[in-house]
Amino acid sequence: MAASPANVTGTGLMEGVTDHINREVVESLAADEPQWLRDRRLEAWSLYERTPMPTTRLEEWRYTNLSRKLKLEELVPLPWEERSFSPESAPARLKDAMARDREASGRLVEIDGSVAWVELAEEAASKGVILTSLRKAVESHPQILEELLATEALPANLGKFQALSAALWTDGVLLYVPKGVRLENPVRVTRWTSQAGRALFSRTLIVAEGASQVSFVDECVSEDLDAQTLASTGVEVFARDGAQVQFVSLQRMGKGPFHLSQQRTLAGRDSTLDTLNVGLGATTARVDLNAQLRGPGANSDMLGLYFGDGDQHFDFNTSQDHVAPNAKSDLLYKGALDGKAQSVFRGVIKVHRGAQGTDAYQTNRNLLLSERARADSLPNLEIEADDVRCSHGATVGQLDQNHLFYLMSRGISRNVAERLVVMGFLGEVLSRLPLGGVVEKVTEIIDEKLHG
Amino acid sequence: MSDSPILSIKDLHAKVADEEIDILHGLDLELGRGELHAVMGPNGSGKSTLAKVLAGHPGYEVTSGEVLFEGEDLLELEVEERAQKGVFLAFQYPVEVPGVSIANFMRTALQARLEEGEEIDLFDFQDELLGKMELLGMDPSFAERSVNDGFSGGEKKRNEILQMAVLKPKLALMDETDSGLDIDALQVVANGVKKLKEEDPDMTVLIITHYQRVLRYIEPDHVHVMIGGRIARSGGPEVALELEAEGYEQYKEEQPAAS
Repeated sequence: MAASPANVTGTGLMEGVTDHINREVVESLAADEPQWLRDRRLEAWSLYERTPMPTTRLEEWRYTNLSRKLKLEELVPLPWEERSFSPESAPARLKDAMARDREASGRLVEIDGSVAWVELAEEAASKGVILTSLRKAVESHPQILEELLATEALPANLGKFQALSAALWTDGVLLYVPKGVRLENPVRVTRWTSQAGRALFSRTLIVAEGASQVSFVDECVSEDLDAQTLASTGVEVFARDGAQVQFVSLQRMGKGPFHLSQQRTLAGRDSTLDTLNVGLGATTARVDLNAQLRGPGANSDMLGLYFGDGDQHFDFNTSQDHVAPNAKSDLLYKGALDGKAQSVFRGVIKVHRGAQGTDAYQTNRNLLLSERARADSLPNLEIEADDVRCSHGATVGQLDQNHLFYLMSRGISRNVAERLVVMGFLGEVLSRLPLGGVVEKVTEIIDEKLHG
Repeated sequence: MSDSPILSIKDLHAKVADEEIDILHGLDLELGRGELHAVMGPNGSGKSTLAKVLAGHPGYEVTSGEVLFEGEDLLELEVEERAQKGVFLAFQYPVEVPGVSIANFMRTALQARLEEGEEIDLFDFQDELLGKMELLGMDPSFAERSVNDGFSGGEKKRNEILQMAVLKPKLALMDETDSGLDIDALQVVANGVKKLKEEDPDMTVLIITHYQRVLRYIEPDHVHVMIGGRIARSGGPEVALELEAEGYEQYKEEQPAAS
């Protein structure tokens, strides 16, 4: 359908509007929704239409050429669907992913953009914890969504794809942890993508009220797909004063998908809000993470781990956004790249005026396992306060012959020697956020990639 | 036990893999089981090349000659196979392996020596490792440190001796193990080698060194002088003393002309 002339006039931009991704789709999604949500979607869509498609001329997209990597015109959004699901009858890879999870306070399964299954431990439910499909939450918890969904953390005006996500989301996760409630075990979300040629939009909203505690593991799984699918997730995490939150994204999709994860974490006074982004799968994976330290005494550890092989392309775009004084952020992203894989790490430490007493550290290290692999690292500082401690460092090293010879001269085969070096290198990241189930899975996948 | 040498090198020629000119020019050397040999030579004489060629470093290429280890063609074996059969190289410049603990490294190395399906007994291994560390006067916390990561020169060399103790080689090649050590560290390393030799008198040791200094602490049975890629002289411990007094000057004219 053609957009109304009003939207075109004055901007001339309708980039990324296609036969299948257009206002009609937004309107049909919003058809039965409350007015506030309809308005929010349509406003987001207008922003999308008016925002140019990012090109490599933009610093933030310099190394990821969307005109080559993302075939939006070939992708078809999937409407929300009622799905039946049982862990027993799940596809093998999904079943396996869930079976090897350890104990959980709650579990949620999303299939091709629609939540199919939710389970919350009774103890958690009795304390007022909410774990539900985002779509269902529109009716069951409208006040939380109206206040916090795509408003404060990840609003549509942050960028082209933030707008698209706010307009087109079909489902996702709402996790709400009331004041003072501490969940011993993680909440585990498994997302399964099975269809090629789709554009899937999901959102996650996590609210941890004052002095609460929760860990959240978001695992993305798929088979190899023979055509591109866009798997987009928008993640909003609120840690209120004194809350402790760990957010883990474990992306281990098969070949084919373009995985796009946009994350914003807002850390309140004296809160701890740690993140771990693990990138192992998909053909192209882009993570935008903005961690805002908005309360004095807030602390965010930002960890990342990636292993690319074949023609995989990873792009991490992080921001340590210090608004409040006396807060700390410590970023460590480490990656190994084999085959023709490429990675980009672009990180900025931004210390706003008034954020005195900031401690902010940023480290990105890369290990190249093949001569055709490539890693670009672009650390950056923007500091407007004077009483701060900041440092950044980036390295790109190669696994060389001398390394392997040393290990092999002790009787260790080349394969095992490579594994030791790579796991030793990446293990530093996992050891800083050793969540049950995650470490084992990551280790196993890297093993497969090294010697599969 | 036979009287045949554990290591027999005949007319060995070798070079850096992507260069033209040989560094080893027809080297002959025999080591009897349980003997302690020293190869001494000035810089550039090919000492370290010999050590690396014997261990199988991929950066070096044998152009002709023969090396038999317990009667088997050593040059046909992969690096890890040589190690598994009992050849050990203590490195001049040990490599740092961040994130891999010494305990994990050694356990992996011992595991590699087992048959498929066999598993190392972790308790036995722990006892063994701690026992060897005690023997070498090392703090138990050393086992959990990443291999050579941030180690001092002395710690790196001591770590080499610890690995040798755990892996129990038949033939230990010690490449400039004494270089860069102060006298205290040198004594620790030398005492370590002596203790291992007492534990296993059948272990054959080849010490490769520029200086006579280390040989005051570990007395060799045989000393060979290496000049220009071959052995220029062999004899008993007196050769080392002679070298200390007169230096390598006397051998200068014996160097073969570069061809």
